[in-house]
Amino acid sequence: MVVGAPLVTPLHFEELYQAEWTELESLLDPLLGRKKRPSGAPPIQGERVAVLYRRACEHLALARARSYPAYILTPLERLTADAHQVIYQRREFGLAKLKYFFSVDFPGTVRANAGYVWLSAALFYIPALVIGWLMYVRPELILSVVDASTAASFERMYAEAAKAVGREAQSDVLMFGFYIRHNIGIAFQCFAGGLFAGIGSLFYLIYNGALIGAVAGYLTERGHGPTFWAFVATHSAFELTAIVLSGAAGLKIGYSLVAPGRLSRVQSLVAATRNCAPIVAGAAGMLLIAAALEAFWSSASWLPHLVKYGVAAGCWIGVLSYLTFQGRSAS
Amino acid sequence: MLDTVVAAETPEGIVLELHPAGLTVRFYAFLLDWLIRLVTMYAVALVAGFMGGVGTAFWLILLFALEWFYPIAFELGRSGATPGKQALGIKVVMDNGLPVTPAASFARNLLRVADFLPFGYGVAVVCMLLRKDCKRLGDLAAATLVVHEPHPAVRVTLEKVEPVAPIRALTPRDQAALVALAARAPTLTADRLNELASMAAAVSGDQGHCGSAVTHRVLGVAQWLLGRRS
Repeated sequence: MVVGAPLVTPLHFEELYQAEWTELESLLDPLLGRKKRPSGAPPIQGERVAVLYRRACEHLALARARSYPAYILTPLERLTADAHQVIYQRREFGLAKLKYFFSVDFPGTVRANAGYVWLSAALFYIPALVIGWLMYVRPELILSVVDASTAASFERMYAEAAKAVGREAQSDVLMFGFYIRHNIGIAFQCFAGGLFAGIGSLFYLIYNGALIGAVAGYLTERGHGPTFWAFVATHSAFELTAIVLSGAAGLKIGYSLVAPGRLSRVQSLVAATRNCAPIVAGAAGMLLIAAALEAFWSSASWLPHLVKYGVAAGCWIGVLSYLTFQGRSAS
Repeated sequence: MLDTVVAAETPEGIVLELHPAGLTVRFYAFLLDWLIRLVTMYAVALVAGFMGGVGTAFWLILLFALEWFYPIAFELGRSGATPGKQALGIKVVMDNGLPVTPAASFARNLLRVADFLPFGYGVAVVCMLLRKDCKRLGDLAAATLVVHEPHPAVRVTLEKVEPVAPIRALTPRDQAALVALAARAPTLTADRLNELASMAAAVSGDQGHCGSAVTHRVLGVAQWLLGRRS
Protein backbone atom coordinates (compact mmCIF):
# COMPACT_ATOMS: atom_id res chain seq x y z
CA MET A 1 0.00 0.00 0.00
CA VAL A 2 1.38 3.37 -0.97
CA VAL A 3 1.71 5.78 1.94
CA GLY A 4 -0.94 8.49 1.99
CA ALA A 5 -3.56 6.54 0.17
CA PRO A 6 -6.88 6.88 1.97
CA LEU A 7 -8.15 3.62 3.40
CA VAL A 8 -11.55 4.19 1.88
CA THR A 9 -11.18 6.04 -1.40
CA PRO A 10 -13.90 8.49 -2.45
CA LEU A 11 -15.14 6.12 -5.13
CA HIS A 12 -15.37 3.25 -2.68
CA PHE A 13 -17.10 5.50 -0.14
CA GLU A 14 -19.68 6.49 -2.70
CA GLU A 15 -20.24 2.89 -3.75
CA LEU A 16 -20.80 1.87 -0.12
CA TYR A 17 -23.39 4.49 0.82
CA GLN A 18 -24.94 5.82 -2.39
CA ALA A 19 -27.96 3.53 -1.98
CA GLU A 20 -28.77 5.04 1.45
CA TRP A 21 -28.47 8.59 0.14
CA THR A 22 -30.73 7.87 -2.79
CA GLU A 23 -33.30 6.28 -0.50
CA LEU A 24 -33.24 9.26 1.88
CA GLU A 25 -33.62 11.66 -1.01
CA SER A 26 -36.56 9.77 -2.44
CA LEU A 27 -38.22 9.88 1.00
CA LEU A 28 -37.55 13.61 1.39
CA ASP A 29 -38.75 14.73 -2.03
CA PRO A 30 -42.48 14.37 -1.32
CA LEU A 31 -42.06 15.72 2.22
CA LEU A 32 -40.47 18.89 0.88
CA GLY A 33 -43.10 19.20 -1.81
CA ARG A 34 -40.64 18.74 -4.66
CA LYS A 35 -42.45 15.72 -6.01
CA LYS A 36 -45.98 14.48 -5.60
CA ARG A 37 -46.28 11.17 -3.83
CA PRO A 38 -47.99 8.57 -6.00
CA SER A 39 -51.50 8.11 -4.61
CA GLY A 40 -51.18 4.41 -3.84
CA ALA A 41 -47.78 4.71 -2.13
CA PRO A 42 -47.36 3.35 1.42
CA PRO A 43 -47.23 5.99 4.19
CA ILE A 44 -43.81 7.49 4.84
CA GLN A 45 -41.92 5.80 7.62
CA GLY A 46 -40.70 8.54 9.93
CA GLU A 47 -38.34 6.17 11.69
CA ARG A 48 -36.62 5.25 8.48
CA VAL A 49 -36.09 8.92 7.60
CA ALA A 50 -34.58 9.56 11.03
CA VAL A 51 -32.23 6.59 10.78
CA LEU A 52 -31.10 7.54 7.28
CA TYR A 53 -30.66 11.16 8.35
CA ARG A 54 -28.35 10.22 11.22
CA ARG A 55 -26.39 7.93 8.91
CA ALA A 56 -26.03 10.72 6.35
CA CYS A 57 -24.78 13.04 9.12
CA GLU A 58 -22.09 10.50 10.03
CA HIS A 59 -21.12 10.16 6.38
CA LEU A 60 -20.87 13.93 6.01
CA ALA A 61 -18.67 14.21 9.09
CA LEU A 62 -16.42 11.42 7.77
CA ALA A 63 -16.27 12.90 4.28
CA ARG A 64 -15.29 16.29 5.68
CA ALA A 65 -12.65 14.82 7.95
CA ARG A 66 -11.16 12.91 5.04
CA SER A 67 -11.33 15.93 2.69
CA TYR A 68 -13.31 14.07 0.09
CA PRO A 69 -13.87 15.98 -3.14
CA ALA A 70 -16.60 18.58 -3.47
CA TYR A 71 -18.78 16.46 -5.72
CA ILE A 72 -19.32 14.08 -2.80
CA LEU A 73 -19.48 16.74 -0.06
CA THR A 74 -21.90 19.17 -1.71
CA PRO A 75 -24.77 16.73 -2.34
CA LEU A 76 -24.30 15.30 1.15
CA GLU A 77 -24.45 18.78 2.66
CA ARG A 78 -27.62 19.52 0.76
CA LEU A 79 -29.15 16.19 1.67
CA THR A 80 -28.49 16.62 5.39
CA ALA A 81 -29.70 20.24 5.32
CA ASP A 82 -32.96 19.15 3.67
CA ALA A 83 -33.48 16.30 6.12
CA HIS A 84 -32.68 18.62 9.02
CA GLN A 85 -35.46 20.97 7.87
CA VAL A 86 -37.94 18.12 7.69
CA ILE A 87 -37.02 16.43 10.97
CA TYR A 88 -36.80 19.49 13.19
CA GLN A 89 -39.69 21.47 11.75
CA ARG A 90 -42.43 22.42 14.17
CA ARG A 91 -46.02 22.30 13.11
CA GLU A 92 -47.57 25.27 14.85
CA PHE A 93 -50.80 25.61 12.94
CA GLY A 94 -54.28 24.29 13.39
CA LEU A 95 -57.39 24.98 15.41
CA ALA A 96 -56.08 23.31 18.57
CA LYS A 97 -53.12 25.64 18.55
CA LEU A 98 -55.37 28.65 17.94
CA LYS A 99 -57.64 27.63 20.82
CA TYR A 100 -54.66 27.21 23.12
CA PHE A 101 -53.39 30.61 22.03
CA PHE A 102 -56.56 32.48 22.97
CA SER A 103 -57.41 30.42 26.04
CA VAL A 104 -53.97 30.25 27.68
CA ASP A 105 -51.06 31.74 25.77
CA PHE A 106 -52.24 35.29 25.06
CA PRO A 107 -53.84 36.25 28.42
CA GLY A 108 -51.07 34.39 30.28
CA THR A 109 -48.33 36.34 28.50
CA VAL A 110 -50.15 39.61 29.17
CA ARG A 111 -50.28 38.82 32.90
CA ALA A 112 -46.64 37.72 32.94
CA ASN A 113 -45.76 41.20 31.64
CA ALA A 114 -48.20 43.09 33.87
CA GLY A 115 -45.60 45.71 34.78
CA TYR A 116 -45.15 46.77 31.16
CA VAL A 117 -48.89 46.74 30.57
CA TRP A 118 -49.53 49.09 33.52
CA LEU A 119 -46.72 51.38 32.43
CA SER A 120 -48.04 51.43 28.87
CA ALA A 121 -51.58 52.11 30.12
CA ALA A 122 -50.30 55.02 32.22
CA LEU A 123 -48.35 56.47 29.28
CA PHE A 124 -51.48 56.29 27.13
CA TYR A 125 -54.31 57.26 29.48
CA ILE A 126 -52.64 59.97 31.59
CA PRO A 127 -51.91 62.25 28.57
CA ALA A 128 -55.41 61.44 27.26
CA LEU A 129 -57.02 62.55 30.54
CA VAL A 130 -54.81 65.63 30.98
CA ILE A 131 -55.21 66.88 27.40
CA GLY A 132 -58.89 65.93 27.40
CA TRP A 133 -59.47 68.02 30.53
CA LEU A 134 -57.48 70.91 29.02
CA MET A 135 -59.64 70.86 25.87
CA TYR A 136 -62.77 70.74 27.97
CA VAL A 137 -61.69 73.82 29.90
CA ARG A 138 -60.22 75.75 26.98
CA PRO A 139 -61.66 74.34 23.70
CA GLU A 140 -59.89 76.95 21.55
CA LEU A 141 -56.71 74.92 22.15
CA ILE A 142 -58.00 72.32 19.64
CA LEU A 143 -56.72 74.62 16.91
CA SER A 144 -53.16 74.02 18.10
CA VAL A 145 -53.72 70.27 17.50
CA VAL A 146 -55.69 70.22 14.22
CA ASP A 147 -56.70 72.93 11.77
CA ALA A 148 -60.10 74.58 11.77
CA SER A 149 -61.65 72.54 8.94
CA THR A 150 -60.71 69.23 10.61
CA ALA A 151 -62.20 70.44 13.89
CA ALA A 152 -65.37 71.36 12.03
CA SER A 153 -65.54 67.92 10.38
CA PHE A 154 -65.22 66.28 13.82
CA GLU A 155 -68.23 68.25 14.93
CA ARG A 156 -70.25 67.32 11.82
CA MET A 157 -69.49 63.63 12.35
CA TYR A 158 -70.85 63.57 15.86
CA ALA A 159 -73.76 65.95 15.35
CA GLU A 160 -77.02 64.61 16.77
CA ALA A 161 -78.67 64.62 13.34
CA ALA A 162 -75.96 62.61 11.53
CA LYS A 163 -77.32 59.52 9.81
CA ALA A 164 -74.31 57.38 10.74
CA VAL A 165 -72.10 58.51 13.58
CA GLY A 166 -68.36 59.05 13.47
CA ARG A 167 -67.89 59.63 9.75
CA GLU A 168 -69.32 61.38 6.73
CA ALA A 169 -71.90 59.16 5.02
CA GLN A 170 -69.74 56.30 3.71
CA SER A 171 -71.03 52.77 3.93
CA ASP A 172 -70.31 50.49 6.88
CA VAL A 173 -68.11 48.03 4.98
CA LEU A 174 -66.10 50.83 3.47
CA MET A 175 -65.33 52.18 6.92
CA PHE A 176 -64.45 48.68 8.13
CA GLY A 177 -61.77 48.57 5.48
CA PHE A 178 -60.53 51.99 6.51
CA TYR A 179 -60.55 51.26 10.25
CA ILE A 180 -58.57 48.01 10.18
CA ARG A 181 -55.82 49.58 8.12
CA HIS A 182 -55.63 52.74 10.20
CA ASN A 183 -56.01 51.28 13.68
CA ILE A 184 -53.77 48.27 13.24
CA GLY A 185 -51.16 50.61 11.79
CA ILE A 186 -51.19 52.67 15.01
CA ALA A 187 -50.90 49.58 17.22
CA PHE A 188 -48.04 48.10 15.19
CA GLN A 189 -46.20 51.43 15.33
CA CYS A 190 -46.46 51.36 19.13
CA PHE A 191 -44.85 47.91 19.07
CA ALA A 192 -42.14 48.43 16.46
CA GLY A 193 -41.12 51.78 17.98
CA GLY A 194 -39.75 49.73 20.87
CA LEU A 195 -36.76 48.77 18.71
CA PHE A 196 -35.37 52.27 19.21
CA ALA A 197 -34.64 51.69 22.88
CA GLY A 198 -38.35 52.03 23.63
CA ILE A 199 -38.43 55.71 22.68
CA GLY A 200 -40.65 55.07 19.65
CA SER A 201 -43.20 53.25 21.80
CA LEU A 202 -43.12 56.07 24.39
CA PHE A 203 -43.72 58.61 21.65
CA TYR A 204 -46.55 56.81 19.87
CA LEU A 205 -48.33 55.96 23.12
CA ILE A 206 -48.22 59.51 24.48
CA TYR A 207 -48.98 61.07 21.08
CA ASN A 208 -52.01 58.89 20.35
CA GLY A 209 -53.25 59.21 23.92
CA ALA A 210 -53.02 62.98 23.74
CA LEU A 211 -54.71 63.11 20.31
CA ILE A 212 -57.63 60.92 21.36
CA GLY A 213 -57.97 62.91 24.60
CA ALA A 214 -57.98 66.17 22.67
CA VAL A 215 -60.78 65.09 20.34
CA ALA A 216 -62.85 63.64 23.18
CA GLY A 217 -62.46 66.72 25.39
CA TYR A 218 -63.25 69.12 22.57
CA LEU A 219 -66.37 67.29 21.39
CA THR A 220 -67.69 66.91 24.92
CA GLU A 221 -67.30 70.63 25.54
CA ARG A 222 -69.09 71.48 22.28
CA GLY A 223 -72.10 69.51 23.42
CA HIS A 224 -71.61 66.45 21.19
CA GLY A 225 -70.76 64.34 24.22
CA PRO A 226 -73.77 61.99 24.12
CA THR A 227 -73.29 60.92 20.48
CA PHE A 228 -69.50 60.78 20.76
CA TRP A 229 -69.33 58.68 23.91
CA ALA A 230 -72.05 56.34 22.73
CA PHE A 231 -70.08 55.90 19.49
CA VAL A 232 -66.68 55.15 20.99
CA ALA A 233 -67.65 53.32 24.17
CA THR A 234 -68.02 49.85 22.67
CA HIS A 235 -65.15 49.42 20.25
CA SER A 236 -62.71 51.32 22.46
CA ALA A 237 -62.79 48.36 24.86
CA PHE A 238 -60.91 46.39 22.21
CA GLU A 239 -59.11 49.16 20.38
CA LEU A 240 -57.59 51.12 23.25
CA THR A 241 -56.70 47.94 25.14
CA ALA A 242 -54.98 46.56 22.05
CA ILE A 243 -52.98 49.77 21.60
CA VAL A 244 -51.92 49.61 25.26
CA LEU A 245 -50.91 45.97 24.84
CA SER A 246 -48.85 46.62 21.69
CA GLY A 247 -47.23 49.54 23.48
CA ALA A 248 -46.41 47.25 26.41
CA ALA A 249 -44.72 44.80 24.03
CA GLY A 250 -42.76 47.70 22.49
CA LEU A 251 -41.67 48.92 25.92
CA LYS A 252 -40.52 45.40 26.77
CA ILE A 253 -38.28 45.04 23.73
CA GLY A 254 -37.04 48.58 24.32
CA TYR A 255 -36.12 47.75 27.91
CA SER A 256 -34.42 44.53 26.81
CA LEU A 257 -32.06 46.67 24.71
CA VAL A 258 -31.41 49.27 27.40
CA ALA A 259 -30.84 46.77 30.20
CA PRO A 260 -29.91 43.38 28.72
CA GLY A 261 -28.65 42.00 32.05
CA ARG A 262 -26.26 39.10 31.61
CA LEU A 263 -27.15 38.50 27.96
CA SER A 264 -25.73 40.27 24.94
CA ARG A 265 -28.02 42.99 23.61
CA VAL A 266 -29.00 40.91 20.59
CA GLN A 267 -29.72 37.81 22.71
CA SER A 268 -31.75 39.91 25.09
CA LEU A 269 -33.73 41.42 22.20
CA VAL A 270 -34.41 37.99 20.69
CA ALA A 271 -35.61 36.63 24.03
CA ALA A 272 -37.88 39.63 24.63
CA THR A 273 -39.35 39.50 21.10
CA ARG A 274 -40.06 35.78 21.38
CA ASN A 275 -41.63 36.37 24.76
CA CYS A 276 -43.97 39.17 23.72
CA ALA A 277 -44.94 37.89 20.24
CA PRO A 278 -48.22 36.41 21.63
CA ILE A 279 -49.18 39.83 23.03
CA VAL A 280 -48.83 41.51 19.64
CA ALA A 281 -50.63 38.71 17.81
CA GLY A 282 -53.46 38.84 20.34
CA ALA A 283 -53.63 42.61 20.06
CA ALA A 284 -53.94 42.29 16.26
CA GLY A 285 -56.91 39.94 16.79
CA MET A 286 -58.53 42.45 19.16
CA LEU A 287 -58.05 45.23 16.61
CA LEU A 288 -59.90 43.21 13.98
CA ILE A 289 -62.84 42.88 16.39
CA ALA A 290 -62.60 46.60 17.16
CA ALA A 291 -62.70 47.56 13.48
CA ALA A 292 -65.75 45.39 12.86
CA LEU A 293 -67.56 46.86 15.87
CA GLU A 294 -66.62 50.40 14.91
CA ALA A 295 -67.93 50.01 11.38
CA PHE A 296 -71.13 48.01 11.95
CA TRP A 297 -72.24 48.56 15.54
CA SER A 298 -70.88 51.84 16.93
CA SER A 299 -72.00 53.88 13.93
CA ALA A 300 -75.61 52.71 13.94
CA SER A 301 -77.51 55.83 14.96
CA TRP A 302 -80.89 54.05 15.20
CA LEU A 303 -79.73 52.19 18.33
CA PRO A 304 -80.76 53.89 21.59
CA HIS A 305 -77.77 55.17 23.54
CA LEU A 306 -78.75 53.12 26.53
CA VAL A 307 -78.31 49.88 24.56
CA LYS A 308 -74.92 51.02 23.31
CA TYR A 309 -73.75 51.90 26.81
CA GLY A 310 -75.01 48.57 28.13
CA VAL A 311 -73.13 46.60 25.46
CA ALA A 312 -70.07 48.82 25.96
CA ALA A 313 -70.01 48.07 29.69
CA GLY A 314 -70.27 44.38 28.85
CA CYS A 315 -67.35 44.61 26.42
CA TRP A 316 -65.09 46.49 28.84
CA ILE A 317 -65.83 44.06 31.67
CA GLY A 318 -65.42 41.14 29.26
CA VAL A 319 -62.07 42.28 27.86
CA LEU A 320 -60.56 43.18 31.23
CA SER A 321 -61.71 40.03 32.97
CA TYR A 322 -60.57 37.93 29.98
CA LEU A 323 -57.07 39.38 30.34
CA THR A 324 -57.16 39.02 34.14
CA PHE A 325 -58.68 35.61 34.65
CA GLN A 326 -58.65 33.54 31.44
CA GLY A 327 -56.34 30.54 31.60
CA ARG A 328 -55.14 31.14 35.15
CA SER A 329 -55.62 27.52 36.15
CA ALA A 330 -53.69 26.30 33.09
CA SER A 331 -50.68 28.55 33.63
CA MET B 1 -12.33 36.28 5.20
CA LEU B 2 -14.56 37.75 2.54
CA ASP B 3 -16.94 34.86 2.89
CA THR B 4 -20.11 35.51 4.85
CA VAL B 5 -20.99 31.93 5.69
CA VAL B 6 -22.95 31.46 8.90
CA ALA B 7 -22.36 28.11 10.57
CA ALA B 8 -25.26 26.40 12.33
CA GLU B 9 -24.49 23.26 14.29
CA THR B 10 -27.14 20.56 14.44
CA PRO B 11 -27.73 18.19 17.38
CA GLU B 12 -26.07 15.48 15.28
CA GLY B 13 -22.81 17.39 15.54
CA ILE B 14 -22.54 18.40 11.89
CA VAL B 15 -22.23 22.01 10.81
CA LEU B 16 -24.70 23.36 8.25
CA GLU B 17 -23.42 26.24 6.19
CA LEU B 18 -25.92 29.05 5.62
CA HIS B 19 -25.21 31.70 3.02
CA PRO B 20 -26.89 34.99 4.01
CA ALA B 21 -28.42 36.92 1.13
CA GLY B 22 -27.01 40.40 0.64
CA LEU B 23 -28.63 43.78 0.29
CA THR B 24 -28.84 43.75 -3.52
CA VAL B 25 -30.60 40.43 -3.94
CA ARG B 26 -32.98 41.24 -1.09
CA PHE B 27 -33.74 44.60 -2.68
CA TYR B 28 -34.63 42.94 -5.99
CA ALA B 29 -36.79 40.40 -4.16
CA PHE B 30 -38.58 43.20 -2.35
CA LEU B 31 -39.06 45.11 -5.60
CA LEU B 32 -40.58 42.04 -7.23
CA ASP B 33 -42.94 41.47 -4.29
CA TRP B 34 -43.88 45.12 -4.32
CA LEU B 35 -44.70 44.93 -8.05
CA ILE B 36 -46.78 41.80 -7.53
CA ARG B 37 -48.77 43.56 -4.83
CA LEU B 38 -49.13 46.68 -6.94
CA VAL B 39 -50.45 44.74 -9.93
CA THR B 40 -52.84 42.77 -7.70
CA MET B 41 -54.20 45.96 -6.13
CA TYR B 42 -54.55 47.59 -9.54
CA ALA B 43 -56.38 44.60 -11.00
CA VAL B 44 -58.72 44.45 -8.01
CA ALA B 45 -59.30 48.20 -8.27
CA LEU B 46 -60.44 47.79 -11.88
CA VAL B 47 -63.06 45.23 -10.85
CA ALA B 48 -63.97 46.93 -7.55
CA GLY B 49 -64.65 50.18 -9.40
CA PHE B 50 -67.89 48.67 -10.73
CA MET B 51 -69.07 47.55 -7.34
CA GLY B 52 -69.26 50.88 -5.52
CA GLY B 53 -68.89 51.05 -1.75
CA VAL B 54 -68.59 47.30 -1.18
CA GLY B 55 -65.90 47.10 -3.86
CA THR B 56 -63.88 49.90 -2.29
CA ALA B 57 -64.26 48.29 1.12
CA PHE B 58 -63.02 44.98 -0.23
CA TRP B 59 -60.14 46.81 -1.87
CA LEU B 60 -59.17 48.51 1.40
CA ILE B 61 -59.33 45.24 3.31
CA LEU B 62 -57.19 43.57 0.68
CA LEU B 63 -54.72 46.46 0.83
CA PHE B 64 -54.46 45.97 4.57
CA ALA B 65 -54.04 42.20 4.25
CA LEU B 66 -51.38 42.49 1.55
CA GLU B 67 -49.52 45.16 3.48
CA TRP B 68 -49.15 43.14 6.67
CA PHE B 69 -49.83 39.49 5.94
CA TYR B 70 -48.48 38.89 2.42
CA PRO B 71 -44.95 38.10 3.66
CA ILE B 72 -46.15 36.18 6.71
CA ALA B 73 -48.48 33.94 4.71
CA PHE B 74 -45.79 33.01 2.18
CA GLU B 75 -42.96 32.63 4.70
CA LEU B 76 -45.00 30.14 6.69
CA GLY B 77 -45.80 28.20 3.54
CA ARG B 78 -43.78 25.31 2.28
CA SER B 79 -41.13 27.33 0.47
CA GLY B 80 -40.44 29.74 3.34
CA ALA B 81 -40.24 32.60 0.86
CA THR B 82 -42.44 35.21 -0.81
CA PRO B 83 -42.74 34.86 -4.60
CA GLY B 84 -40.12 37.59 -5.04
CA LYS B 85 -37.66 35.78 -2.80
CA GLN B 86 -38.44 32.47 -4.48
CA ALA B 87 -37.71 33.95 -7.89
CA LEU B 88 -34.28 35.05 -6.69
CA GLY B 89 -33.53 31.79 -4.90
CA ILE B 90 -33.52 33.10 -1.35
CA LYS B 91 -35.65 32.20 1.65
CA VAL B 92 -36.22 32.97 5.32
CA VAL B 93 -34.96 30.52 7.95
CA MET B 94 -34.25 30.68 11.66
CA ASP B 95 -30.70 31.38 12.86
CA ASN B 96 -30.15 27.66 13.34
CA GLY B 97 -31.18 26.76 9.80
CA LEU B 98 -34.66 25.54 10.70
CA PRO B 99 -37.85 26.65 8.96
CA VAL B 100 -39.12 29.99 10.26
CA THR B 101 -41.65 29.72 13.10
CA PRO B 102 -44.99 31.60 13.04
CA ALA B 103 -44.00 33.82 16.00
CA ALA B 104 -40.70 34.75 14.33
CA SER B 105 -42.32 35.47 10.97
CA PHE B 106 -44.93 37.59 12.69
CA ALA B 107 -42.31 39.56 14.61
CA ARG B 108 -39.93 40.14 11.70
CA ASN B 109 -42.70 41.42 9.45
CA LEU B 110 -44.40 43.68 12.01
CA LEU B 111 -41.03 45.22 12.85
CA ARG B 112 -40.84 46.45 9.27
CA VAL B 113 -42.40 49.61 10.68
CA ALA B 114 -39.13 50.29 12.51
CA ASP B 115 -36.95 49.17 9.60
CA PHE B 116 -38.78 51.48 7.25
CA LEU B 117 -37.76 54.64 9.16
CA PRO B 118 -36.83 57.38 8.40
CA PHE B 119 -38.00 56.59 4.86
CA GLY B 120 -37.51 53.86 2.26
CA TYR B 121 -36.17 51.22 4.66
CA GLY B 122 -33.28 53.51 5.69
CA VAL B 123 -32.66 51.81 9.02
CA ALA B 124 -32.84 48.37 7.42
CA VAL B 125 -30.30 49.28 4.74
CA VAL B 126 -27.79 50.67 7.25
CA CYS B 127 -28.27 47.70 9.55
CA MET B 128 -27.81 45.19 6.71
CA LEU B 129 -24.66 46.90 5.45
CA LEU B 130 -23.12 46.95 8.92
CA ARG B 131 -23.66 43.28 9.64
CA LYS B 132 -21.83 40.32 8.20
CA ASP B 133 -24.99 38.20 8.27
CA CYS B 134 -26.96 40.98 6.58
CA LYS B 135 -29.85 41.12 9.05
CA ARG B 136 -32.26 43.99 9.32
CA LEU B 137 -33.68 44.99 12.71
CA GLY B 138 -36.67 42.70 12.28
CA ASP B 139 -34.36 39.75 11.58
CA LEU B 140 -32.25 40.58 14.62
CA ALA B 141 -35.23 40.64 16.95
CA ALA B 142 -36.90 37.56 15.49
CA ALA B 143 -33.62 35.57 15.20
CA THR B 144 -34.22 34.90 11.52
CA LEU B 145 -31.88 34.91 8.55
CA VAL B 146 -32.48 35.36 4.83
CA VAL B 147 -30.30 32.80 3.04
CA HIS B 148 -29.53 31.68 -0.48
CA GLU B 149 -31.07 28.34 -1.34
CA PRO B 150 -28.24 25.86 -1.86
CA HIS B 151 -27.66 25.13 -5.55
CA PRO B 152 -28.23 21.57 -6.59
CA ALA B 153 -24.76 20.08 -6.96
CA VAL B 154 -23.58 19.38 -10.47
CA ARG B 155 -22.18 15.92 -10.77
CA VAL B 156 -18.69 16.16 -12.27
CA THR B 157 -17.57 13.48 -14.63
CA LEU B 158 -13.82 13.22 -14.69
CA GLU B 159 -12.13 12.49 -17.94
CA LYS B 160 -10.93 8.98 -18.25
CA VAL B 161 -7.25 9.15 -17.46
CA GLU B 162 -5.02 6.22 -16.61
CA PRO B 163 -4.62 6.27 -12.79
CA VAL B 164 -1.06 6.93 -11.57
CA ALA B 165 0.06 6.17 -8.00
CA PRO B 166 1.56 9.22 -6.23
CA ILE B 167 5.26 8.89 -5.50
CA ARG B 168 5.00 10.34 -2.01
CA ALA B 169 2.60 10.70 0.91
CA LEU B 170 -0.07 13.35 0.41
CA THR B 171 -1.90 15.17 3.17
CA PRO B 172 -5.70 15.24 2.97
CA ARG B 173 -5.50 18.89 1.93
CA ASP B 174 -3.17 18.08 -0.96
CA GLN B 175 -5.42 15.24 -2.03
CA ALA B 176 -8.43 17.51 -1.97
CA ALA B 177 -6.59 20.13 -4.03
CA LEU B 178 -5.62 17.59 -6.69
CA VAL B 179 -9.12 16.18 -6.96
CA ALA B 180 -10.54 19.71 -7.15
CA LEU B 181 -8.12 20.48 -9.98
CA ALA B 182 -9.23 17.36 -11.84
CA ALA B 183 -12.86 18.39 -11.36
CA ARG B 184 -12.14 21.82 -12.81
CA ALA B 185 -10.08 20.48 -15.71
CA PRO B 186 -12.92 20.48 -18.28
CA THR B 187 -13.60 24.19 -17.65
CA LEU B 188 -9.98 25.37 -18.04
CA THR B 189 -8.03 26.15 -21.18
CA ALA B 190 -5.24 23.73 -21.98
CA ASP B 191 -2.50 26.28 -21.20
CA ARG B 192 -3.94 27.26 -17.87
CA LEU B 193 -4.48 23.59 -16.96
CA ASN B 194 -0.83 22.83 -17.78
CA GLU B 195 0.29 25.79 -15.70
CA LEU B 196 -1.75 24.71 -12.68
CA ALA B 197 -0.78 21.07 -13.06
CA SER B 198 2.91 21.97 -13.19
CA MET B 199 2.60 23.43 -9.69
CA ALA B 200 1.47 20.04 -8.45
CA ALA B 201 3.89 18.10 -10.64
CA ALA B 202 5.84 16.89 -7.60
CA VAL B 203 3.18 14.27 -6.92
CA SER B 204 4.10 12.32 -10.04
CA GLY B 205 7.82 13.06 -9.82
CA ASP B 206 7.85 15.72 -12.56
CA GLN B 207 9.02 18.76 -10.56
CA GLY B 208 9.92 21.70 -12.74
CA HIS B 209 8.34 20.28 -15.85
CA CYS B 210 5.34 21.56 -17.65
CA GLY B 211 3.35 20.19 -20.55
CA SER B 212 0.44 18.04 -21.49
CA ALA B 213 2.24 14.82 -20.54
CA VAL B 214 2.88 16.14 -17.03
CA THR B 215 -0.73 17.31 -16.79
CA HIS B 216 -1.87 13.87 -17.87
CA ARG B 217 0.12 12.22 -15.10
CA VAL B 218 -1.08 14.73 -12.45
CA LEU B 219 -4.67 14.12 -13.43
CA GLY B 220 -3.86 10.41 -13.29
CA VAL B 221 -2.81 10.84 -9.64
CA ALA B 222 -6.14 12.53 -8.95
CA GLN B 223 -7.90 9.53 -10.47
CA TRP B 224 -5.86 7.22 -8.29
CA LEU B 225 -6.74 9.27 -5.20
CA LEU B 226 -10.40 8.96 -6.05
CA GLY B 227 -9.96 5.23 -5.88
CA ARG B 228 -9.46 4.18 -9.53
CA ARG B 229 -6.91 1.51 -10.13
CA SER B 230 -5.79 0.33 -13.51
